[in-house]
Amino acid sequence: MSSDHLAHQHHTTGAAFGIGTFTCVRCGLTVSAKSADGTRRNHCPSCLHSRHVLDQIEGGPSECGARMSPIAIAVLRTGDWTLVHRCVRCGELSSDPVCGDDNQLMLMRMAVRPLADPPFPLEAFGSL
Amino acid sequence: MPRRTRREQHRRNQRHKDVLHTAGRHRAHDFRCVGCRLDVSLVAPGTAHRNHCPNCLTSLHVDHRIPGDRAAGCGGRMEPLGLTVRTDGEWMLIHQCLTCARLSANRIAGDDNALALVRLALRPLQDRRVASSALLSMP
Repeated sequence: MSSDHLAHQHHTTGAAFGIGTFTCVRCGLTVSAKSADGTRRNHCPSCLHSRHVLDQIEGGPSECGARMSPIAIAVLRTGDWTLVHRCVRCGELSSDPVCGDDNQLMLMRMAVRPLADPPFPLEAFGSL
Repeated sequence: MPRRTRREQHRRNQRHKDVLHTAGRHRAHDFRCVGCRLDVSLVAPGTAHRNHCPNCLTSLHVDHRIPGDRAAGCGGRMEPLGLTVRTDGEWMLIHQCLTCARLSANRIAGDDNALALVRLALRPLQDRRVASSALLSMP
């Protein structure tokens, strides 16, 4: 039995039981496609990496399929955090909402990363 | 209230304007910000591709897939959404189009408003709930 046949079989059984899992392309963690609060997950909760499967510009599926690395945290008007991903192959950007069980340490690391090495001295802002 | 008893005087038609300010003339290398109406020169310190206003960091959605191709049919206003850092420590602005929600990234310029940049960098840390939950989950 070939390996891709096995993979196909695994995929069909996962779908038949309604489990729906995917394997992270960076850290190899097998995660469920649904998060704890029932929303659909599109990035690994451990390393926050994603995969380029949706074309953000014209919509529909994308044929790139490369890894997307998290680059920034953005804040919506509601105060919720959003994760901005960038495809390592074609450079396309996408934004996905943060799940409740995402790695908080990685999120906080990304949020404070601009302040670690500012392009101008921040001492002047103390006197404002 | 003014009296309108005077006869309408013959008004000369408006003269035809043949001086173009933008196309190849003295304002060919400028743009006017859609957010704060500031006249911005395209010559910027530190970058050759200025695409946002140095005062309010607002941009305009004109490029499609390749930066500079001017092929986007949207033309909406792009507001700064967040900041990211390159591996060499350089800050980059992430803009989001308010019309079609498209994202784009651009390097900051040398004369960008430092206060606006720092406010953008501190925006994720404003909410105390997220920061405290992150600290509590630390091992």
